[in-house]
Amino acid sequence: MTREEIVSKTNAVFAESFEIEPERLKPEANVFLDLGLDSLDTVDLVVAIQKRFGVQIRDDDRVRAIRTLGDVYDFIETIQKEQQG
Amino acid sequence: MKRVVITGMGAVSPLGGTVAEQADALDAGRHGVRAMPEWAEYKGLRSLVAAPAELKNEKAIPRQNRRSMSRMSIFAAQAAQEALRDAGLVAEGVGDGRTGCVAGSTTGSAIALSQVYETMLPEKDFSILQSMQFFQCLSHTVAMNVAQYLGLRGVLLSTNAACASSLQAIGAAFDLVRSGRQDAVFCGGAEELHATVTGSFDMLMAASVRYNDRPEAASRPFDAARDGLVCGEGAGIVVVEDLERARARGARIHAEILGFHTCSGGSHISESNRDGIAACMRAALADARCAPPEIDYVSAHATSTIQGDGEEAAAIRNVLGENVPVSSLKGNLGHTLGASGAIELVAAIEGLRRGHLYPTRNLETVAEECKGIRHVAAREPTAARTFLKNSFAFGGINASLVCRRWTDGGTP
Repeated sequence: MTREEIVSKTNAVFAESFEIEPERLKPEANVFLDLGLDSLDTVDLVVAIQKRFGVQIRDDDRVRAIRTLGDVYDFIETIQKEQQG
Repeated sequence: MKRVVITGMGAVSPLGGTVAEQADALDAGRHGVRAMPEWAEYKGLRSLVAAPAELKNEKAIPRQNRRSMSRMSIFAAQAAQEALRDAGLVAEGVGDGRTGCVAGSTTGSAIALSQVYETMLPEKDFSILQSMQFFQCLSHTVAMNVAQYLGLRGVLLSTNAACASSLQAIGAAFDLVRSGRQDAVFCGGAEELHATVTGSFDMLMAASVRYNDRPEAASRPFDAARDGLVCGEGAGIVVVEDLERARARGARIHAEILGFHTCSGGSHISESNRDGIAACMRAALADARCAPPEIDYVSAHATSTIQGDGEEAAAIRNVLGENVPVSSLKGNLGHTLGASGAIELVAAIEGLRRGHLYPTRNLETVAEECKGIRHVAAREPTAARTFLKNSFAFGGINASLVCRRWTDGGTP
């Protein structure tokens, strides 16, 4: 999956699950401070990403380090390579 | 003891999204019962009729509040918002710890419960469940969602007593305010339709099964040809308030709550009985310091079941005699279960304000066992003020509330 596809699919998750307008979905946006997600939203973000990308990330400690939308893109790219490899 | 009044009312029901819309529909004699052909896929479900409410404008509720709300909690939040506005209160003023919330439903969201089990059980996999489904499944989902949406910091209670849920909520709120523990309470209940809900009643031979091709005739309380209830959905929320506080802030008052009682029938898990109902009504009258002749009208629970309607009619006859006007609004609304007490209370108060009693829709031939009380057969003008609202539930739960419509110049 290309970086563009990851960005597009991730942004679709944020738009559909958290009703965030497309213009606010910038890589540098902090998902908590700028996009307004909280701890419960994080649970649902993990479930939505697992479903959308066919990966398993629920027990991955690296999820806790995510701060920005760009971090989400990077993490999915990494985890896809690992789990496909 | 403080005197307690209703200063705000809100309703979402099969007849409309506000108290006024619902009353307009009742004025016109309309009903909200529809055929549900999509339920035919359920084996063994014979009752294919229901009274749905319309879900609309839900995005006006901020996502942070809405995400934990199922259909019934959205109905409740909208009814609570209407009640807040109607009471002349503002959201900023109700978070003082002196304003509470008591609300209930039969269970947590039937839709969310079904989705969770359908998602999780095939693979026995918890990792695919969303966090918000949990909050929608909880038994106190209606009360907690209304309280958080309005920012209430007072008493928060959930009355989950099936079809008596919302009347018990109003009764509990009445006690909280008259004892001085709270100044005001948002109270009532909500319910949502699902095939599993109707299926539960059908399984117990309590749902209508003979009118699938004539849904408009399916809910017929007290009628000789009734064959069971029709499930409905919606929410009713009222603001009950200390009379002195309401007067001090110049609030418009709809009605005074004079008395309440709830009790167990003590004899059968599903069948209501006339003695238990009569005992509950008498205790509510005693609590209200009202003699039976003071009651001008009864808004009956009567759900169109074979067993329950006859027992309630007998109890009313025994307690109030043959001349007090009685009607059930479930011919129009279906049975909105946990929401029915509040929805029908609001409908009765608004009907009295408009100066009329609503008839029991579809009551064409009074059943033998339902005779001996004065059924309201057609909409009639009235000056009635003091009335009694009944709600009963599986489990032998009875509840009766005595109210008096407020008129300018105060009460006697």
